Amino acid sequence: MLTVEGLEVAYGDLQVVWDVSFEVPEKSIVAILGPNGAGKTTTLLALMGLLQVKAGLATFKGGSLIGIPTHLMVERGLVMIPEERASFASLTVAENLELGAYTSRARPSLKRTLDEVYATFPRLAERRSQRAGTLSGGERQMLAIGKALMARPELLILDEPSLGLAPIVVEHIFEVIEEIRDRGVSVLMVEQHLEMALGVADHAYILEMGSIVADGTSSQLAADQRVQEAYLSL
Amino acid sequence: MPRGVAIVAGFVLLGSLVSLGVTSDSQRVLTLAIQTMMLAALASSWNILGGFAGQISLGHAVFFGLGSLITRELWLSGTALPLAVAAALAVTAAAAALVGVPMLRFRDIYFAIGTLALGVAVFITVGNLRPRISSLSAETLRNYDFTGPYFMTLGVLVVTVVVSLWLKRSKLGLGMMAVREDEEAAGATGVNAFFHKMIAFILSAVLAALAGATFAYFSVSYFPNFAFSVIWTFEAILVVFIGGVGTIVGPVIGSVFFIIGRDALPTDIDEFQVVLFGLLFIVVVLLMPGGLTEAAQRFLAKVSKRRSPPTKEPTATKGKELV
Amino acid sequence: MTQLILQSVVSGVLVGGMYGLVALGLALAFGVLKVLNVAHGELLMLGGYAAFFAFTVWGLDPFVSLPLVFIAMFAFGVILYFALFRYVTRTEIHTRIKNSLLISFGLVLVLQALAVRFFTADERTISTAYSSEAITIGLVRIPVVRLAGLIVAVVAALLLEWLLSRTRFGRALRATSEDWTRAALTGVDVRRVYLIAFAISAALAAIAGSMISLGYSVSPSIGLGWTLKALIVVVLAGLGSMRGIIAAGLFLGLMESLAAVWLGGQYREVAALVLFLVVLSFRPQGFFGRAHA
Repeated sequence: MLTVEGLEVAYGDLQVVWDVSFEVPEKSIVAILGPNGAGKTTTLLALMGLLQVKAGLATFKGGSLIGIPTHLMVERGLVMIPEERASFASLTVAENLELGAYTSRARPSLKRTLDEVYATFPRLAERRSQRAGTLSGGERQMLAIGKALMARPELLILDEPSLGLAPIVVEHIFEVIEEIRDRGVSVLMVEQHLEMALGVADHAYILEMGSIVADGTSSQLAADQRVQEAYLSL
Repeated sequence: MPRGVAIVAGFVLLGSLVSLGVTSDSQRVLTLAIQTMMLAALASSWNILGGFAGQISLGHAVFFGLGSLITRELWLSGTALPLAVAAALAVTAAAAALVGVPMLRFRDIYFAIGTLALGVAVFITVGNLRPRISSLSAETLRNYDFTGPYFMTLGVLVVTVVVSLWLKRSKLGLGMMAVREDEEAAGATGVNAFFHKMIAFILSAVLAALAGATFAYFSVSYFPNFAFSVIWTFEAILVVFIGGVGTIVGPVIGSVFFIIGRDALPTDIDEFQVVLFGLLFIVVVLLMPGGLTEAAQRFLAKVSKRRSPPTKEPTATKGKELV
Repeated sequence: MTQLILQSVVSGVLVGGMYGLVALGLALAFGVLKVLNVAHGELLMLGGYAAFFAFTVWGLDPFVSLPLVFIAMFAFGVILYFALFRYVTRTEIHTRIKNSLLISFGLVLVLQALAVRFFTADERTISTAYSSEAITIGLVRIPVVRLAGLIVAVVAALLLEWLLSRTRFGRALRATSEDWTRAALTGVDVRRVYLIAFAISAALAAIAGSMISLGYSVSPSIGLGWTLKALIVVVLAGLGSMRGIIAAGLFLGLMESLAAVWLGGQYREVAALVLFLVVLSFRPQGFFGRAHA
């Protein structure tokens, strides 16, 4: 579904992503794991056209992504939830969700998707007329995911979905992510929280200092001596 | 340019300007030279606040105007010129300190808006309070000589450039530049941001007033509020950006370019000069943020690189494209 | 004395409506694009001339030409965006503000000079058959053309409010002004939003110009003064609240008028400056939405 080959990204003279390749097959969860500053978020932003790509290829459903404006990617079904959650503080929950279906791809099914989202997150239905800025961290993440679902994604990208959330909330969010995959949406997520991510991912890549250093199925990686030493002890 | 060469070049330039003042009796040449030096001084004074300390003031004309207003009124009512100028500088310094207290608490855009508000309000108020044109007496006019204004302007320019040079090397100037780069970070390393901005503001205002004093001494007649007109602010900012913001020579080079360029254009259609320079300014801000100085440096670097083998190829990367 | 004060209150409120109307467009451009267009007053001036010439050349009543002026300046806004502001919006927010300030400062001079060249420096006022009519209530006289200006201001503010809160595009506008990256990730074509917001801003300036050339007067140099009033209003209102802007405009107009009564007309401008400094001093971080950053 998504194939990335030899991606390189630089901020001015400072290159932070080197020759990164990975792929996300249909109906699966793929995780990119690695410590802070490994270049995970940079990779995602470049993929979404928010940072300039220095070199490399990226194709989504057979079409190239390089040089395409961000909003057109959303139109094609590639939807990303940034680390700082994607909702707008000054808009209400309902306004945020409706805005989520901004693309012409998603607009016709707005009502139906909205019901689905409210069914997945009853909490959001309760708070529909509240401004997003007044929500708790967990609720904001639910809203972010709900808003992304409103865009009817085929591939959902999440940047650090567990960041800053209580363990019980994280568990809920990961359950939802699996549910989304089971409904036929592919998921690409970036995580520092290795154990949690390996628990749900079908396949994972380890990114260090801007390069992929290991990859495999979750069980392979979880069993890998090096990975265990480097991360699981943390 | 090595420092020695720069110093020699500076003295050669100064020497030729002095001899020009002594030998030339072409009114046109002297007028152009006075205008250029006055603008260079005004621009350099803006550059201290805007270039060194990074505070974009849109109300700089207030201090130019204040210097000219006080000098002119005192001088025409019989005070000796040096005394009149001294009084003007003192009052301007006090006014700047007073206005600086609220203004300098504003960051970036608020400072720009605040100073613009100050500039417009003072311009209109002076127009209301001093509506009549200020002219030299017939007697003064009969004995009018370009030499006095010429050397006064030259002196003012030298003072301004020397102050800028000193500032650029001093601890005070370094503090200002630290504030320009990042006010919070500067504060964290122990630089008192408000103090440095205040010193830059007062210095900049006093030097602008000095330029204004030369205007008062040089001009035959003008409406008092003309010296407060936003056009002065604009010309100062324009030449600073054309020359190179934050540099010593930038404002001077920019002024020469501006005054000579304006003189070369047909004078019967004043408005087109403004249009042309306005557009030039826009282009410079958009495309050459370093101005002529940086463009020249880049050119020189290219030339010298061709002679010596390149040590390190800089990676060509475009600025981060946002949308 | 009472009559003088009452009359001052009324004219202050009337001119305050204009301040609000001018500020509306300025706030929109700043809020959405994060560009500070100090040439906003020059766009107003152009709109004023458009209405004036539509009246003198084609005999069009300013209320008839209002939609035409709106469309013409909308188009001019599109041109300005593509020629200048587009480049500014590609930079990071901090540089964006500084560069837009400098560029529009240059634009002020260019448009002023062109106006002097083509329209002469004379002051112009549209004088219609109803220009001298007034409603008299007790001792207070309300000129109809100025009252009409106030009404246009209120209607424009209501329409804008409706656009922002009730339409899909308005939501995209608000989203973009809060965070353009997230808006893009939501599927909003940010550049298109920028373009339309800037064009609406220019068109709103022109509407104000129309009403000003009817109730007051236009000349090539009026721009900066109006821009300044608009900036003060924007700061008073706090950005993001389009509702607050008309109210802040009325407040500024009122304060100026009263200051002119107490201190004498020469100090009218100083009152605005002091008001501005006082408000800004109590909210030094300002109202331009740092809270979201």
